[in-house]
Amino acid sequence: MTYVSQTLSALIAAPLLLAAVTSAQPVHADDAAKLSVTVQNVEKPQGKMMIAVFKDEAGYDGSQPVAASAAPVSAETVTAVFSDLEPGEYGIKIYHDVNDDGEMNTNPFGMPTEPFGFSNDAPVRFGPPGWNAAKFTLEGETVQTITLQ
Amino acid sequence: MSFSRRGFLAGSSAAMAALATRPAWADQNSLYWQAGWETAPAEGFAPTEMTLVRGKLPEGLNGALYRNGPAQFRYGDKTLPHWFDGDGMVHSIRFANGKAVHTGRFVQTEKRRIEQAQKAFVVPGFGTEGDPNFAVSNPDAANAANTSVLRVGDDLLALWEAGSAFAMDPVSLETRGPKTWREDLKGMPFLAHPKVEPNGTIWNLGIGGSRVGIYKISPAGALQEFGLVDTGLASYIHDFAMTERSLIILVQPWVYKRNIPPFTASMAWEPEHGLKVLIVDKNDFSKTRWAEMPPRFFFHTGDAWEDESGTIHMDIATYENADFVEHGEADIISGKYQKPKTAPAQMAMAVIPKTGEAKLIDTGLPAEFPRIDPRYQGQVRNQVWMIDTSQRDHAPGSSIIRRLNWDSVTPDAHDFGREHMVEEHLFVPRPGSDNEGDGWLVGTTLNMRERATEVHVFDAMRINHGPLASFRAPYAWPLGFHGTWASA
Repeated sequence: MTYVSQTLSALIAAPLLLAAVTSAQPVHADDAAKLSVTVQNVEKPQGKMMIAVFKDEAGYDGSQPVAASAAPVSAETVTAVFSDLEPGEYGIKIYHDVNDDGEMNTNPFGMPTEPFGFSNDAPVRFGPPGWNAAKFTLEGETVQTITLQ
Repeated sequence: MSFSRRGFLAGSSAAMAALATRPAWADQNSLYWQAGWETAPAEGFAPTEMTLVRGKLPEGLNGALYRNGPAQFRYGDKTLPHWFDGDGMVHSIRFANGKAVHTGRFVQTEKRRIEQAQKAFVVPGFGTEGDPNFAVSNPDAANAANTSVLRVGDDLLALWEAGSAFAMDPVSLETRGPKTWREDLKGMPFLAHPKVEPNGTIWNLGIGGSRVGIYKISPAGALQEFGLVDTGLASYIHDFAMTERSLIILVQPWVYKRNIPPFTASMAWEPEHGLKVLIVDKNDFSKTRWAEMPPRFFFHTGDAWEDESGTIHMDIATYENADFVEHGEADIISGKYQKPKTAPAQMAMAVIPKTGEAKLIDTGLPAEFPRIDPRYQGQVRNQVWMIDTSQRDHAPGSSIIRRLNWDSVTPDAHDFGREHMVEEHLFVPRPGSDNEGDGWLVGTTLNMRERATEVHVFDAMRINHGPLASFRAPYAWPLGFHGTWASA
């Protein structure tokens, strides 16, 4: 039976697959903002932390990141820094590619079998969090600490 | 039933009339049925010897009866909205040297850890809405691990249905954690009614919408095969049946309609679908055929077998509709009981020929929780044991267990009396024998007058002779759902 899996299946998995960075725009150094993303609650210090940064709702919903990072994981936390981003509203999706196969693995019903997380630690309830729960304002130097679920 | 017998024993029509007019509240005061739905101690029950109150433990009956059931019903003045959402407590009653020793432990799930910390029902579930802000990142975040148990390899598994099985230590009942059968199957649902072939091979299903995962597990507990079939309808599947050759997947017309918690609110009764049956070849999951029966709700099958002509026979407890599952005994949990207006479950025999129309033969016998002799799983057989479901005025549940012989229709039953509420009784084979029915029937009752749980042992083919042995605990523990037997 399916009280949870039914509603979650595929909903989480599909949007989390990281697309290639498609619309990175060069930003004038004077205006640039710096985003530090720290990921905590790492269970297995191996593989890569896949971090995708989205600007605006369309980019977030369509999984079209403006910046992305695949950082090797060797400790309980991972930090990635994105410089030269335009100030504005952003959202982040991450997953821990534990087995380093370049994919967010799921079980046959589409449930993630690798840890994941969202900016603001936006919670999953019968589906991944939307833009409104995940968005934050980036200006100057901004830190996002995200706990893997 | 017990009413009229008591009347005759009293030997006067006046006594009978007095009994007939006895108000329900009088019994409700003296027979404390509420003990079946009272929260168990958080630390569990330490090993406690039960008192022999009748007969003696038969020679050869050595092992443990394991049972599982919801055991957290209240936080402060809030009661659990649906029986199926209570945190599972696993019990063992170990029989050895003429004695019976009870112990019980809550399954330490993530749901339990969170709710114990907050002292509130916050996790959404089967019939519990939960806190609207509570995050459910995966099915195991809502896992109550409260439905049944399976003994396999070094583990005792506490079974739910919408998430992983939870592994426990079979002796100490300490929780080990969610069971992952294979890394890519992490978090996959695993039904609470696995089927075990006489050779020990375990089969089970996991349901996700219209998709059905099929597990084949070796007797030692290693996953041998996993496959998927699609029924085309997101139906509620709690149990299935299995013959030597086939898995019998019943697709009932209580179907998933909308994405809102709790689960019961997302479902609708649509009898126009009928009760469809998907028959899957155990050797090749792509070989399937369909049959259809009239619309019924069901939780449990007994088992199934194929005769020489390839016709499948399956015992099943059916309901007219999904009314029972939708209300989930919320009143009873809060201490109020009224005899239900909905019809109780009845035993039926499904007959599914290789071609042509399938039939559902109603027996009219009000019964549920069917169990069979496990040595005959998937084989031609006659016997099924179950608990009565006829409803009474003074307390929920029933006091009667039954054996049905499909071949002779000779009834065999035992009535524990009005002060008892019966739970599932299961068959335990006599060591060294292979005749169907040669063994014992073992199960529990809540003695509402003594406010104590009892365990009983019967000669399985002569339950009308009464228990060979009964033991009583010095306390009552909450009523449960299903159990399993593990020989010592």
